[in-house]
Amino acid sequence: MSLADRLPAGIGDRLPEDDGDRALLLGGFAVALALVLAATPVAVALPGELFVFFEVGTMFVIYGILVLGLDLQYGHTGLVNFGHVVFFAVGGYTVAMLSAQNPFVGIGLGYPWLVALVAGVLVAALLGAIVGATSLRLRDDFLAVATLATAEIFHSVFVNFREVFGGNTGILGVPTPLADLAGDTDTTMLATLLFIGGVTAFTFAVVTRLTDSPYGRVLRAIRADELVTRSVGKSTFTYKMQSFVYGAALAGLAGGLFALYNGTVAPGYFTIQVTVTIWIGMLLGGASNHRAVLAGLAVIMGLRLLSRFALDVAPVSADAFASIRLIVVGMILVAVIRYRPAGIWGDPKELGVDS
Amino acid sequence: MGLAQNIVFGLVTGSYIAIAAIGFTLIYGIVNMINFAYGEYVTVGALVGVLAAGALPLPLPVAALVAMVGGGIASLVLARAFFTPINHTGPVPMLLTSIGLGLALRNAIRLTAGQGSRYFDTETTTFRFDGLPDLSVGSVDLLGGVFVTSEHLIVIGSAVAVFVILHALLTRTDVGIAMRAMGDDEDLARVRGIDTQMIRDSVWVLAGVLAGLAGVLIGIQTSVSSTTGFSHILQILSAAILGGAGSPYGAIAGSYVIGLVVALSVAFLPTGMTGLSTAMAFLILIVVLLVKPSGIAGQEVREA
Repeated sequence: MSLADRLPAGIGDRLPEDDGDRALLLGGFAVALALVLAATPVAVALPGELFVFFEVGTMFVIYGILVLGLDLQYGHTGLVNFGHVVFFAVGGYTVAMLSAQNPFVGIGLGYPWLVALVAGVLVAALLGAIVGATSLRLRDDFLAVATLATAEIFHSVFVNFREVFGGNTGILGVPTPLADLAGDTDTTMLATLLFIGGVTAFTFAVVTRLTDSPYGRVLRAIRADELVTRSVGKSTFTYKMQSFVYGAALAGLAGGLFALYNGTVAPGYFTIQVTVTIWIGMLLGGASNHRAVLAGLAVIMGLRLLSRFALDVAPVSADAFASIRLIVVGMILVAVIRYRPAGIWGDPKELGVDS
Repeated sequence: MGLAQNIVFGLVTGSYIAIAAIGFTLIYGIVNMINFAYGEYVTVGALVGVLAAGALPLPLPVAALVAMVGGGIASLVLARAFFTPINHTGPVPMLLTSIGLGLALRNAIRLTAGQGSRYFDTETTTFRFDGLPDLSVGSVDLLGGVFVTSEHLIVIGSAVAVFVILHALLTRTDVGIAMRAMGDDEDLARVRGIDTQMIRDSVWVLAGVLAGLAGVLIGIQTSVSSTTGFSHILQILSAAILGGAGSPYGAIAGSYVIGLVVALSVAFLPTGMTGLSTAMAFLILIVVLLVKPSGIAGQEVREA
C-alpha cells in the first residue's frame, strides 16, 4: 500500500501523478519547513546518536545534486566526465571567496551570500563551457582523461596558491546563513538537511522535466548513436555542450550550498574521491534514471554510515576499516559493470547494454 | 641548483616513467583500454622488490628480477580475473572496472603492507662535476655544478636496456610482430592465424614485468609505500597519451617530455609553488589533446 492510498480520499486524488511534480511539491514542503524551523524560535532537540545520520544525510543530498548533474551528462548524453569534482570545487571556492569575512588565509570579499551563490553557479557553468568547448570532441575515454587532468590541475592550484585560495587550510569564515538564523546546533542540523534536501528535490524536478521533454530524447539519441542523430539534422555538439554546462552548473550549485553549510572550503573536501563516489553511486543505481542514481548513491553513502557503526563492534582500527570499506566499494563497481551493466534499477534496453 | 642538475633529475624521472608508460601504452594499444589500476601494479612490483631485497635478503639485481616476475604474474592473474571476461564491452566499462579494481587493490595493499614507507638499502656513490661555470640569467642558473649518483645511473641504464630489449622484441620475435599486428588491426591479425588471446595474455605479462621494474626503480630513487604507484599513474598516463596512445616509441618520448617539464618547472617556479610542477605535466597533456590529439606518434582519438 503506497502512501497515497493511506491518505484520506480527496487528498490522495489530488497528489500529482508525475515524478517531477511530486518532487517539486516535496521540495517546496521541505524548504518551507526548513525556513519555519530556522526563522522562528521553534527549536528541536535531537538525540546525540542521530547526529551522524544528519551529517551523512546532508552530504547525501549535496552529492545528490552532483549525481543528478553527472547523470544528465553521462546517463543521458553519454559524456564521460571524470572530473566532475572540479565544478563542485569551483562553485564552493567562488562562493567562499566572495562571501567570506576575514578568512584566516586567502581572499574573502565579504559580499552577501546570495550574490556569491549565484556567482558560484555562473563560474562553474563558465568553466563547464570552457572545458566542454575544448574537450567534448574527444573520444569517450580521452574525454575522461582530459576532465580528470583538469580536476587535478585545479586541485593543485588550490593547494599551491596560498595567498589566493588559502592552501591546504582553505578559506575559513564563510557565512552560514541557516545556522545564523536558527541559532542552536540541533535545529540548524535539521533545517540544513531539510533545506538542501528541498533544493535536491527541486533539481530532481527540473532534470526530470528536461529529460522527459523532446529535448531529453535528443540527448539520449546522441548517447545511443551520435552519427544517426546528426544525420537527422540535430546539431549534436550544441546539445552535448548544453548538457555538459547544465551538469557543471548543478555541481557549482552543490559546491556553493556546501560552502554555505560547512562554513569553510578546503582542498581536502574536493578530492578525486568525490568523483569516484558519485560515479559508483550512479552506475550502481542505474544511469539515465534519476531515481535510480539517487538510490545508488544512497547505498554507497549508507556504507559509510554502516562502517561508522561497525567500528564500535569490530576489533579493527578506524583506519583499517576505512580501507576495508574502500575495497568493498571498489569491488562493487567491478561487479556492477560485469554483472549488471545497467545498474540495479536501470533499464538494460534503454542503455543499450547486454546484461 | 643549476639548470643542468635539473635536467639530470628530469632524465631520471623520465626514465622510470618511460618504463611504466611503455607497459601502459601496450595495454592501451592491444587490449584497447586505459588501465587506471596500472599504478597498483607498479606498487606491487616495488613491494615485492623491497621485500625480496630486505627480508630474504637478495642482492638488488636479483630482487629486481623477482619483482618483475611478481609484477608479471600479478598482471596476468588480475587480467584473467577482471579484464578478459569483459573484453567485448568497449573502452568505457573497462576503464571504469580498472578504477574500481585500482581502488580495491590500493586499499588491500594499504591494509596488508601498512602505511609506512620502506626503503631499498643501497650504497650510493656520487660523482660530482664542478667544472662547469655558472651562467646566470636572472635568478636562473643555466649551467652550474652537476652531480650524478650511482642510483641515477642505475635508473637511466635500466631504461636504456629496456628500450633496446623491447625494440628487439617488437621487431625480431614472432610474439612482438604479432603484438604490433594486433595493435594495427585485430581482425586481420586473427585472419592470419594469430592466437589473439595468447597475444593479449603476453601483453599483460609484459606490462606487469615492466611495471615491476618501474616500481623497483622508483623505490630506489625515493621510497616504497602503498601509494607509490598511484602517485605516478597520472604522469604515466600523460606520458603515454602525449606520445600517442598505443605507440611504445611515442611513450618513451612522452615520458622524457613529462620528466623534464616536471623537473624544470621545479627549477623555474617560485619557491612555495613547486607543487604545481605535476600540474604542468597535466597542462601539457590537455594542450596536446586539444592541439594534436593523436600525440607525438599515434592515432586519431577525436570523434568528429
